[in-house]
Amino acid sequence: MLEIKDLVTEFASVQALSGVSFTAATGKITTVIGANGAGKSTLLRTISGLERATRGQILWNGLDVTKLSVEAIVRSGISQVPEGHAVISQLSVAENIELGALFRKRKARADVAKSIAEVYELFPILFERKSQMAGALSGGERQMLAISRALVARPNLLLLDEPSLGLAPLIAEQIINAINELCRSTGLTVLLVEQNANTALSVADHGVLLALGKVVAQMPAAQMIADESLRAAYLGY
Amino acid sequence: MTQFITAFFSGSSHGAIYALVSMGLVLVWRGAGVVNFAQMGQAMFTTYIASQLIMHKYSYWIAFVIALSAGAILGSIVDFGIMRPLSGRKKSAILASESMRTTIPVIASLGVLGILKALAGIIWAGEERGFPSPVSTNGIKFGTSTLAFTAFDLFVIGIVLITLLLTTLFFTKTGMGLAMRASALNPEVTRLSGVRIKSVRTLSWAISGAASSLAGLLITPSTNLSPNTLDLLLIVGFTAAVIGGLTSLVGSVIGGFAIGYVISFVNVYSSPENVFLAILLFLLLMLFLRPQGIFGTKEVRRV
Amino acid sequence: MFSIKRIWTKSLFVSLLFLLGLFALGKTVGAYNQSQLASVATLFIGVLSVTLLTGASGQISLGQGAIMAVGGYAAALLVLNLGLSMWLAFILAIVIAAVAGLLLGLAAARLTGPYLAGTTLVIALAIPTLANRFESTLGGDVGLSVDVGNPPAWLGKLLGEIGIEQWQLFVAIPFSALALFSVINLSRSRTGRVWRAIRDNEVAASLHGLNVARNKVIAFVCASGLAGLAGALYGFRGIVGPSVYPIDLSLALLTGAVIGGLRSITGALVGTVFIVFLPDLIGKVTGVFKVSEQVSNYLPALVSGVLLLLTIVINPAGIAAATSQIAKHRHRTK
Repeated sequence: MLEIKDLVTEFASVQALSGVSFTAATGKITTVIGANGAGKSTLLRTISGLERATRGQILWNGLDVTKLSVEAIVRSGISQVPEGHAVISQLSVAENIELGALFRKRKARADVAKSIAEVYELFPILFERKSQMAGALSGGERQMLAISRALVARPNLLLLDEPSLGLAPLIAEQIINAINELCRSTGLTVLLVEQNANTALSVADHGVLLALGKVVAQMPAAQMIADESLRAAYLGY
Repeated sequence: MTQFITAFFSGSSHGAIYALVSMGLVLVWRGAGVVNFAQMGQAMFTTYIASQLIMHKYSYWIAFVIALSAGAILGSIVDFGIMRPLSGRKKSAILASESMRTTIPVIASLGVLGILKALAGIIWAGEERGFPSPVSTNGIKFGTSTLAFTAFDLFVIGIVLITLLLTTLFFTKTGMGLAMRASALNPEVTRLSGVRIKSVRTLSWAISGAASSLAGLLITPSTNLSPNTLDLLLIVGFTAAVIGGLTSLVGSVIGGFAIGYVISFVNVYSSPENVFLAILLFLLLMLFLRPQGIFGTKEVRRV
Repeated sequence: MFSIKRIWTKSLFVSLLFLLGLFALGKTVGAYNQSQLASVATLFIGVLSVTLLTGASGQISLGQGAIMAVGGYAAALLVLNLGLSMWLAFILAIVIAAVAGLLLGLAAARLTGPYLAGTTLVIALAIPTLANRFESTLGGDVGLSVDVGNPPAWLGKLLGEIGIEQWQLFVAIPFSALALFSVINLSRSRTGRVWRAIRDNEVAASLHGLNVARNKVIAFVCASGLAGLAGALYGFRGIVGPSVYPIDLSLALLTGAVIGGLRSITGALVGTVFIVFLPDLIGKVTGVFKVSEQVSNYLPALVSGVLLLLTIVINPAGIAAATSQIAKHRHRTK
């Protein structure tokens, strides 16, 4: 279970997060939605360690990961897929995936091979293209690759930053559904940041609405979808 | 014709050594974002260590291995002791200046160079001393004539080719090599993959240190050893790296051979006095026409 | 906003103070120390060129020693081959070195950080080889013999017996004060502010409409003029030759500038005093400990290197900045 307590992240005296608190239940999909600039990306980057929290606490299954380095956080089972289908264009598909599993111990080698096979099963197109340079892939394929890289680390908590950004709706839906399937079948905890509130809320269990660096509402996703006043006030539709 | 052959062979064997130096510079540039001006100082220091061992009757090969290991260790120490603290500093206002941020590591490496040279002088004195080669430095006999090519030249080329092969295998086939490539290309994604970038960086320094030690061992039989003899090698290596492209390992090797041929042909067909000017001309030409080098990638400046 | 008049008055005052101070000091000490003071006055100009180039405009050059050589050779050739007076030769040396700086600056304007450092290093090593290339004119390895000559008779009548070292000092002082005056004014002028803007953020500076390339070249020209003057004075102690302007000289100037404080003119003076007096200071210490010659030869270089490294790692802005920080801290806690 992920617990965020009064998280504050500042950049040059501007507060991107002004005291965020919520909980993401184990094995469930929690989605963080909100308008542009609400602080969603900053939230994920603070959890994964790319940004340093100014105040507050991040607890993952009781472990305080607030001040840990990025590498240590990955090793504690938290993997982030950053915004913008972040893959290394000059490396091949197979190498990008291999990168994600490098830190895993030698003894886990068999499981590493297994996890790689699993992502190829999840996204067969990647297997077809495994020797191609990542830069040659389409946007959707790159996003699948970025997610695969995170998955071979065998995370317990997967942080997804706007996975549907820049993708055709059909592909985006495909990817979100794949995540949903994964979560249900493996018990992976997912924290999903999305601009596309509808899609996100339709697969999520729990919704957290962020505005100007603060949590303005959190409730079961089904409730949030139905709440028209919230939608009108914060999501503009 | 014989002139051409002489120039070609000498260019090849020296070019191989320049390729090593250039490779070392590129490794640290890619892995740590620093041009290590102390690199040849490190090489000089470890070659002295080898020289001492040989003088005390140890075999060349033992000295060889120890020099390379010392090079790796010395490189790691420079990263650990100096470069890491340097990149961690945030206090001084001078660091707010963009140009200072790139200048300061340069000055730091010059400081290291000065210290290594002075230490070498203190420990081993400043007079030039010879350095042995494990194989003959006489021209190879081909039938009745003697070529301007020695067994040592072959040895140099052989060792460098082996090194290049091992390095290529390392980078393309091992996990560590992948981690190093990835961290040079995209540090953020690499960190998110759980790779300890700081350790990878230290490894770059270590490998570079070993490569430059090797270069030192290979060139001193012809230049002799003193605290200052390897200075020129640095600027040749630097020019080679710029020609090949500071971001490309393949380029650094090609640049090394290229400058090797330029120097040897100028030496043979013009005069030794013109060598420096030729190097300078080549460097300026490259920086004006194609600053990223033959194989380098243009750095995109984000406004 | 300081008025122009106030800037000039203040810098004039400081420079005159400097001039008279050195003069007075020179009269009281013995020949050896006079020679050292002459070195201080001379190398101060050289270190100022680094402070201006690197501290003010953010461009690193490892070739200031080579520019000094250009100035030295220019002055020597003018005196030896054209029979010009030493004083005129020095002035012209500034101009000639400035032209060299123009060429260097044009080449360097597109380069940054390590590329610039490496290129200037290559230039620093290439220029001295010209002496051998054109041995007949430039004297090859041996170099050209020049010196400051004898003091004029009227001065001797005024001040009594003037030794060679004292005369060397007297020749250097006015130029040194002039250099100080120029640098203070440049630093406080609009050009100085433009340099600092470029140093801190080139992109922002150009977006503000500043001509980055032109101003960078101007910095090189000014710094080279200074270095040329220093080189001429330096060479006229006896020889102008490759051994007088080795790469170590460039590094020493840089070391002095950094340790003293890259952004401070006072720092430049502190740094100069450091590089001139360090060998003797160390000599005295090692004399007490009866250290071997081998060690004592290289100990100054070791200490320099260590101090340079410590300065860069602990406080890159050097001694000058550190003392002003301490002063500020004391003021705040009072």
